[in-house]
Amino acid sequence: MKKITLQLLTVFFIGASVSAQEKITKQGHTNQNKFKQLKDELATPNSQRTASGAPGINYTQQKVDYIMDIVLDDEHQKITGKETILYHNNSKDELAYLWVQLDQNVRAKDSKSPDIATNRVPKVMNKKWFDRSFPSNPFDGGFNIMSVTNIDGSKLSHTINQTMMRIDLPKPLASGKTFSFKIEWWYNINNHRKDGGRSGFEHFTENNNNNYVIAQFFPRLCVYDNVEGWQNDQFWGRSEFALEFGDYTVNITTPKDHMLGATGVLQNEKEVLTKNELNRLSKARKTYDKPVVIRTQQEATKIEKSKSKKTKTWKFIAKNVRDYAFATSRKFIWDAMAVDINGKSVMAYSLYSKEANPLYGEHSTRAVAQTLKTYSKYTFDYPYHKAISVDGQMGMEYPQICFNPGRPNADGTYSDRVKYRMIKVTIHEVGHNFFPMIVNSDERQWTWMDEGLNSYVEMLAELAYDKNFPITRGYPKNIVKYMSGDQSKIAPIMSKGDNVYEFGNNAYGKPATALWILRETIMGHELFDHAFRSYSQRWMFKHPTPADFFRSMEDASGVDLDWFWRGWFYTTDVNDIGIKSVKKYHTKIVGDNVNFIEDKTEGLGFGAKKGKDSKYHYEITYNKPGGLVMPIIVQFTYKDGSSERKVYPAQIWRYNDKEVTKVFSASKELSKITIDPQQETADVDSSNNNWPKESKNQFEKFKSKIKG
Amino acid sequence: MKKVYLILVIIPLLSFAAHKYYLSLTQIEYRSEKKSVQITINVFMDDIEIALNKNYNIDLKLQTKKELKNNDIYFFKYLKEKLHLKIDNIPKEFNYIGKEYDGDLVYFYLEIENIKEVNSIEIENKILTKHFLEQQNLIKYKDGDKHKSILLTAKNDKGLLKH
Repeated sequence: MKKITLQLLTVFFIGASVSAQEKITKQGHTNQNKFKQLKDELATPNSQRTASGAPGINYTQQKVDYIMDIVLDDEHQKITGKETILYHNNSKDELAYLWVQLDQNVRAKDSKSPDIATNRVPKVMNKKWFDRSFPSNPFDGGFNIMSVTNIDGSKLSHTINQTMMRIDLPKPLASGKTFSFKIEWWYNINNHRKDGGRSGFEHFTENNNNNYVIAQFFPRLCVYDNVEGWQNDQFWGRSEFALEFGDYTVNITTPKDHMLGATGVLQNEKEVLTKNELNRLSKARKTYDKPVVIRTQQEATKIEKSKSKKTKTWKFIAKNVRDYAFATSRKFIWDAMAVDINGKSVMAYSLYSKEANPLYGEHSTRAVAQTLKTYSKYTFDYPYHKAISVDGQMGMEYPQICFNPGRPNADGTYSDRVKYRMIKVTIHEVGHNFFPMIVNSDERQWTWMDEGLNSYVEMLAELAYDKNFPITRGYPKNIVKYMSGDQSKIAPIMSKGDNVYEFGNNAYGKPATALWILRETIMGHELFDHAFRSYSQRWMFKHPTPADFFRSMEDASGVDLDWFWRGWFYTTDVNDIGIKSVKKYHTKIVGDNVNFIEDKTEGLGFGAKKGKDSKYHYEITYNKPGGLVMPIIVQFTYKDGSSERKVYPAQIWRYNDKEVTKVFSASKELSKITIDPQQETADVDSSNNNWPKESKNQFEKFKSKIKG
Repeated sequence: MKKVYLILVIIPLLSFAAHKYYLSLTQIEYRSEKKSVQITINVFMDDIEIALNKNYNIDLKLQTKKELKNNDIYFFKYLKEKLHLKIDNIPKEFNYIGKEYDGDLVYFYLEIENIKEVNSIEIENKILTKHFLEQQNLIKYKDGDKHKSILLTAKNDKGLLKH
């Protein structure tokens, strides 16, 4: 012992004298540890939003009620509205003005959205495309605000700033008080098949008909909260919106021969539906196993040939919804079935033109029903009375109603890809009823909060619809291509949607994958599902922020995930874990000591020197060229063909972010060590995942399969 | 032509709530011991199907019972038209090893043989850029432990891979 102490002392004194000679004091650093807690990134908890991720005792949100009379002019594709708004200031703040969203102005002639989209001159352009890209007579869209008035009809001061309108209140609105005012407006409806958009009409030359899918169609109040103040960021066309909950009383006047679906409970079904339709509807309300057709294809085909000059008015009341939308056409076929959500009946509806049949008839309503069941299981029981899927030939969601793509070939046949794509989008859009229509996150700021969460639950619903459903987004292996791409074209998930490069991968695919990995690999189903359900239920009919989600997932599961949010949501780091080296040891007992003796033979096998009483000790060094910290999932394959899986938690990387060494003591000889064999972790480079190193890459495996 | 240009027009204007994106990946690896440049390309099946159907007036019906037989002829033809490589400034032809499907992706395997040395690869990749304005073609190159990646688009369809 003496000798060792002396050596240590010598080293110490030499070390001290060297540092005393240095002129520069050692460079320090801030906490760069990948496991550093997220406290600096998340807002300080308060009595509105607690540290547990739940709403606090002083949480408030505004309420906005609307009474609207809407008239659709099918002849001129115009829509007119008279709207009375009742604004409830539930906040503690006094408000001098209100902000109203005018989404249609994104299509106004003076819209700045086209100006920020860069373009170039191509060598050649199809004439039709040219006419649309360089129109001689641009579409005259956007709101025509005819009047903004007090209830007594006197003028109300207002200022329009592109897609936002400020209403200057006659006197500041005190906390707890309400303010009522009126807006009258109209606009030309866009042809969404020609000009794009999340709503509009589709024109059919046969019988000169239009299908209308109408949304973002009335001036809507912005959200006011303690996070953003007024959420009045401009609508540029991509990042969707944030809205307040409220009650809607809506009368919609359409041609008499139209079939219409809308948000809310229909108040006058006897006035707008035929006796036959009413009978079939009451049958559908008791039919849980298959859709009941309420307006048949035969009836719709007959109706679309004549055009009624008369009108009728559909009357709806929608309670506690954050938006309003509808779809209407004389071409619509309508089918319906009842869905049992924990003892409560909810109706699944589909509206579609004959061009979408039989695809829609066979799958649309069934996909709606599946979505309501699966999402209710993983979040909360669907609280509304219905959900509608409309053949709108896009993919866009509104409360209780959504517009979906997919049509069969002219002869009625359709490929599996068309079928699955239509079902996938339908599930996705119906799923949006839960995120963000009920768990009302702010999509203008944080697209991923509804798109990512929704894309994750969507996968569960797809697998429940068809266990062989071809899932193309959300599995870890699906995101590798994106994550391993050019870093200059990748943004962290925690970026505003308008500013990210690959919107689909950034806001849908990557966060869905992140949640999938949490559930399958890091937390397990039980802890994840409970936490995800807790978050959903805490924030249903409220406005959560990213911090509320991150905190809820940890608070309800008891799993510290700060490292995961930091890596996956706040950075563009990738996962790449490999095996750097493997050493083999056997043991020999000598007196009170156990000696470890290295076996330097090639491969994972042991030479003859190993005694029968010794285990097979493998000292494995794992390296991590990737920036993310992730669990090390290892499959140890034994010489006899059996295998064992071992998962080292991500925290193994706490003290060394580059490489770690860990001993695996086996009772049998190994033949192979594989990292992440099931592709669970989005490892971007699998060429370092095997020991002994694999000689064949993907290319060579394929080539030998083909060439033999 | 109608169908294709309709798609072209709608894509830049629409933001699907279920967002579609346009990205292919070309992985190039030089294996010195085999004197081989291996090229693995994956593209979205529905996009490549639209492009080939239009270009060659065919109906591929990929992954259906009516899938067009001998479709490798068209894939090879298309790739020869759209993908050009120069190794150390000399244009090189590639062999078409084959293709396989994985979910909504098609993988193509191409090979350039008898390459004794690689200092630089010049790549021109126009895959799908004519039909999809937003198409991005990501190129990843690997030579031993060295990696390099570039992103090509319709506007910028050529790149140089050099260490």
